Amino acid sequence: MAAARTWEGEIARRKAIEKAKTVSKSVFLNAFFIVIAFLTLLPIIYAFGISFGESNSLLSSSLSLFPERWTLENYISLFEDYDILTWFGNTLLLAVSTVVLVLAISIPAAYAFSRFRFHMRGATIRFLIILNAFPSVLSLYSVYTLVRELGLSNSIGGLLLVYVGTMAIFGLYNLKGYFDTIPYEIEEAARMDGCSTFGVIMKILLPLARPALAVTGVMVLIYVWNEYIFAVTFISNPDFYTLASGLYGLQAQESTGSWPVFFAASLVVSAPILLVFMLAQRHMVSGLSAGGVKE
Amino acid sequence: MKKKEGFRRFEREARPWLFASLSLLTILLVVVFPIGHTVYLSFTNMGIYNYYDYSLIGFGNYLDAFSLGSASFLRSLGITILWTALNMALQLVIAYVLAVLLNSPHLRLRKLYKALLMIPWAMPGYVSILLWKNGMFNGQFGYLSKIFSLLGVDVDFLSNDIMAFLSCTVVNLWLALPFMIMIIDGALQSVNRELFESAELDGCNAIKKHLFVAIPSIVPIVSPAVLITLFTTFKQFDIVNLMTISPVGTGAHIETVIVYAYQQAFITGNYGYSGAVATLIFLLVVLSTVFFDPSFRKKGAKHGSR
Repeated sequence: MAAARTWEGEIARRKAIEKAKTVSKSVFLNAFFIVIAFLTLLPIIYAFGISFGESNSLLSSSLSLFPERWTLENYISLFEDYDILTWFGNTLLLAVSTVVLVLAISIPAAYAFSRFRFHMRGATIRFLIILNAFPSVLSLYSVYTLVRELGLSNSIGGLLLVYVGTMAIFGLYNLKGYFDTIPYEIEEAARMDGCSTFGVIMKILLPLARPALAVTGVMVLIYVWNEYIFAVTFISNPDFYTLASGLYGLQAQESTGSWPVFFAASLVVSAPILLVFMLAQRHMVSGLSAGGVKE
Repeated sequence: MKKKEGFRRFEREARPWLFASLSLLTILLVVVFPIGHTVYLSFTNMGIYNYYDYSLIGFGNYLDAFSLGSASFLRSLGITILWTALNMALQLVIAYVLAVLLNSPHLRLRKLYKALLMIPWAMPGYVSILLWKNGMFNGQFGYLSKIFSLLGVDVDFLSNDIMAFLSCTVVNLWLALPFMIMIIDGALQSVNRELFESAELDGCNAIKKHLFVAIPSIVPIVSPAVLITLFTTFKQFDIVNLMTISPVGTGAHIETVIVYAYQQAFITGNYGYSGAVATLIFLLVVLSTVFFDPSFRKKGAKHGSR
């Protein structure tokens, strides 16, 4: 097949090579990312498989990720033999109350640090930044002492206090950053019309700051949902278990409990927050960067 | 007249504090008081043997921190430095490679892959850690254990120091990579394409192109996020705690400083000594925050106007 090499033939041949290169690159890249995505999701896929399998299938040595016989028994057992609904209710109650309280105390504080100029303002802000860098685990025992001395140990109230206090700095700082981006002139116009400071905050500032309020609220919600060390350390009464302390307890019963139920619970615990995360993700980056960095 | 002016001034100074009072009081109670209490305990001999009748002992706990034998503060400090350095290096390299590949023009499904790679970020951290511990590393039915035993190797992932350290590193990468990939991916998209092309024309090969063009131009964009990650890696507590200590110790001793402070309080019951360790870490964190956080530089420049 020694056909004369015309210009057209040469160009077509080069194009074909180029295309083959592109295709092989694309095949390679897709194969690579399918493997990476699979490895990334492996712990979740495996948990999913176990949670739908029979409890004795766990110890089989096969590498199959999915059960031979699918069953809902672990999920049913989770709701019948364990108080996951109580844990869920406690977590939801804590999450919603923490969000409401953090916003309620942070809005006026953020307003003050954004709009007023007073002695110790800058120093207080820097002090709060330092406090926020403190890993709260380090003072866990002292926080525990505080909660005990206030008579709040083993109660939802004790956890609520700790969560609100822990997130108060973030709430203040994030909202202040956003308030700073709202021009003062808008407020002045309302003041001319006889609006009080309270009115200005409620009617002018908060509607404008809605993205920052949403982001702050979602971040606090995620924090509470994902928090386990306070929940595990402070609560020993099963009536007040959160999802975190409940799940933690499920794995502790290695000899008696059922691992498939533990894996089912892991997925049930994660599902709502995955949903919140997916819904909020797009807005989150903008609301945070708008609030976070500026002083 | 003068009196009224004085009142006005008082009002002007007091009003912001009144607005901020609930927030600041809560922070004082829940954050500041426990820190102060921890520092106070660090100067006492409080422990399980003298839980109620402890007394001030000066700097004794601090001296202990720097002089105890093998299972000491200094060892955990070394582990923390190793942990932070290894994790940051792996994270940056892997995230960079994945972000570059995700940006390849030949990849049509990049949005799908990105979404899948972000999932670990959205999972509750403690659930992910427990899924790894019980689902992947468990000696009886962990998936990785199964794979290795089919290969004829029995690996104990969590009971010896080196394997536990590596296992925790894997989990940390799993948890932290999505954020880093997202940051580097965003930065790469802002890199000037023309710069890349002119580098190609100048005869740069692929490696040079990344080393001398892409990486220098994304460094300023990613450095704040890298700094934040450096801090979170240093302060990482949940992984080592849940993987090797709680609820039951696995036998490995890879405590980083924060885990060490926690363990000294809640497992060994040396509250005073734990307080000293906590105070030392806190000082370290404060110093580096003051050093790195932009709010502590350029003093005065920002506070003048309005």
